[in-house]
Amino acid sequence: MARKTWRALFAFVATMFVSAGANAAADVKVLPHAPKGEVVWYVSDHTLPMIAMSVAIPAGSAYDPQGKFGLASFTASLLDEGAGTLNAQAFQTALSNRAIRLSVSPGRDYLVITLVSLTDNAKDAFQLLGLALSHPRFDQDAIQRVRAQMLSALEQEDEDPPTVAAKAFYKAFFHDHPYGHPVSGDAASINAINQADLKAFAAQHWTRGDLRIAVSGDVDPATLTTLLNSAFGHLSAHAAAPAPWPTHVGSPGIQTIPMPVPQPTVVFGLPGLMRSDKDFIPGFVANYIVGGGGFSSRLTDELRVKRGLTYDVDTSLTTYRRAGIMAGDFATKAASVQDAIGVVRDTLKDFADNGPTEKELADAKTYLTGSFPISFSSNVGIVGVLNGFQQVGLPIDYIQKRNSLIEAVTVADVKRAAARIYNPRAMTIVIAGTPEAAKPAKPSAPTDSHARRH
Amino acid sequence: MCFAAALIATAGSAAPSNAQDAKIFQFALQNGMQVLVVPDHRAPVVTQMLWYRVGAVDDTPGVGGLAHFFEHMMFRGTPSLPGEGFSQTVARNGGTDNAFTTHDFTAFYVQIAKDRLKLVMSLDADRMANLDLSDANVHTERDVVLEERRMRIDNDPQSLMREQMEAALHLSHPYGRPVIGWAEEIRHIGRVEAQDFYQRHYAPNNCILVVAGDVTPPEVKAAAEAEFGKVPARPVAVRWDFAQPPRMAETRMTIARQDVKVPLFMRIYRVASYTEAKPGEAEALETLSQLMGGDATSALYRELVVKRKLASDAGASYEGYARDAGEFDVYAVPRPGVRLDVLEHNVDDVMQSFTKAHPHAADLERAKTQLVADSIYRRDSQYAMASAYGQALVIGLTADDVTEWPDRIRAVSGEQVQRVAVEDLIKREAVTAYLVPAAGQH
Repeated sequence: MARKTWRALFAFVATMFVSAGANAAADVKVLPHAPKGEVVWYVSDHTLPMIAMSVAIPAGSAYDPQGKFGLASFTASLLDEGAGTLNAQAFQTALSNRAIRLSVSPGRDYLVITLVSLTDNAKDAFQLLGLALSHPRFDQDAIQRVRAQMLSALEQEDEDPPTVAAKAFYKAFFHDHPYGHPVSGDAASINAINQADLKAFAAQHWTRGDLRIAVSGDVDPATLTTLLNSAFGHLSAHAAAPAPWPTHVGSPGIQTIPMPVPQPTVVFGLPGLMRSDKDFIPGFVANYIVGGGGFSSRLTDELRVKRGLTYDVDTSLTTYRRAGIMAGDFATKAASVQDAIGVVRDTLKDFADNGPTEKELADAKTYLTGSFPISFSSNVGIVGVLNGFQQVGLPIDYIQKRNSLIEAVTVADVKRAAARIYNPRAMTIVIAGTPEAAKPAKPSAPTDSHARRH
Repeated sequence: MCFAAALIATAGSAAPSNAQDAKIFQFALQNGMQVLVVPDHRAPVVTQMLWYRVGAVDDTPGVGGLAHFFEHMMFRGTPSLPGEGFSQTVARNGGTDNAFTTHDFTAFYVQIAKDRLKLVMSLDADRMANLDLSDANVHTERDVVLEERRMRIDNDPQSLMREQMEAALHLSHPYGRPVIGWAEEIRHIGRVEAQDFYQRHYAPNNCILVVAGDVTPPEVKAAAEAEFGKVPARPVAVRWDFAQPPRMAETRMTIARQDVKVPLFMRIYRVASYTEAKPGEAEALETLSQLMGGDATSALYRELVVKRKLASDAGASYEGYARDAGEFDVYAVPRPGVRLDVLEHNVDDVMQSFTKAHPHAADLERAKTQLVADSIYRRDSQYAMASAYGQALVIGLTADDVTEWPDRIRAVSGEQVQRVAVEDLIKREAVTAYLVPAAGQH
């Protein structure tokens, strides 16, 4: 219900490797004279009278101080709540009058800001963003309003098994590391945050020292340079260091959080691979085969197609700046939770022990390479993919090399990566909901008068 | 494989997209299949959507959820491509696919490299004519749908509330039945029902093909004739013309549940859809919903959230793309300690301001600017463009209705907005609901 979609803040989205990769149609260039040395990739396409930009600022929840969890998210949510001489209503009216779409998505490492504007209003759009970043007001009235929204959203999150499970999983997996607490904080910490905290966070973290910027649309390089200068030129050159490295990750075993719902959600995960790991691409292919590939994945086949145990199961290989993680989730009725977890364990173990078949690898390659251009079919899509690459530190020529890197992967490579990742005994598993104890094999369900069993 | 009923009020107006400068092309195949092409040459990919004129309103009585269930079965194989072969073949060719079902229609789509379009057409033509429903997978799929229902509805008190409200709002009209079906009726679905449904509804003359992307109309025509043209036309079931009985009083409900943490006020009005509306009426409702609750500058948000500090969120939306009645909803989430009856009184107060006077000129202009911009931003997405035209055609509107939509929005006057606020948003045509935590918390 909430207008600001808090729910998106803690999903496995942070810097997920975008499943799209290579010979993109779009002609992506590095902006030659970025105002202050920022990394700017852009695509000039004048087909539509619009510009999209996605910018990542190292201002995510990993920088939340102790006792002030949710501060990064709180600050981000105030981005459109007043700047300079414009109070919240005046600022939002200025955006709305021009149909400027400004959205924020705070993750663990980065705050990602997306700006979409018609060409005619681009100058105003970038200026308004610049004003918001450099002269935020943090009026008490706006703070109290956003605080109420965040608290309400936190309560709604408590109703939602996937969210409850995801939060508990991050806590169990990262312990007291800054990645362990929810991006959205908790009620006590949100109540503890005051205006001075918000101002200090923005001053320290809304800076231009480590910006990653992707732009696509109706703009030429010279104009873009001017626009970017108006958005980011007034920020300090400071750059926040990444979070510290975690000392240990994972809590092998099952943790249950009881909830009065008919269908518990199960989240399971293991240490993944850093983006710089030589096995990352084989691991990425392995993830597609075991759980990333919809109806082509082993987990979907085992849980959904063969057994009807879930509507959706999938896994992802996510990379943060200081950790890699393999995580998956599914939801099933209370009576099936134990069975389904067993199927997941068996499926992962088999894959780790035996690797993929030649056919599975070939199919994974044709999907992963062939689908890459789909992500480049819109301005908004392009900036999302490019910014994802920028966040994990990939060079621009990765866009051209990606498909050949995937093509080069062998069965042995995937098997090696799978053996490193999928260790069912080490799995951290969180159940949100109340599973029923495993039952002996169930007699066939009562049939109805319409259907014959086969 | 989802169903797309308007379950929660998060979405803003589902405005149609337009394409003032985008050119579209329409033609029909010999077998009666309608085709619409939206060229977009920015990337070498295409989006193919097939819109069948069958949805949950066509569910057999007592077997609610059949249309949605059948959408799932369309992915479960033919003799030449058994099992999960459809999605697997699409994936192997670098494509992605899915489908969704509403009360009025069922849509299937694929996004893929442009040189695979003909392949995708051959797959879709194959499952249009040769679906194999003979094996036991009907029962497994039923379990999958029950899990889908638990995930989308039973686990989510707001969705459960919306389901109850719809059931009350539409009286005997099948818009009151959930698209996914009631659990006990989902359990009634069997192979016979599915086979019968397929025979009665799935034919080339009962669907619309929309292709958006890096293609030319002659290419699409040749490929469609070659693939879909092979499937002969045949008689399909006539759709019932369901009564929309007059409502004589507002329906009110309070739903108290243990799983609720955040209370919610919501009201849904049964209003004219684009297909039922007088000229300009639906566009005025669209504009009214934007003014009343479209974004943080809208009246409900400004008054209830910003000024009166009674709500943490508030909004409105209009869903006008329907063969029969449309829906206009308003909602508000109370701040802690604010009673829902107080909140409702304040919502009514804000709504009444629209019945007493024309909206402020600057507000009206801003609302229209936002709606028209939506239609430009939508052109950035092949999927959004194909959806805009597909959803219009499948409910009986024309491509011109989509193309001319921005101009019709621009033409909406303050007087028209006031008139629909007075004439369309009437309590007799509404269901009002309170969602509250169970057990003495209220």
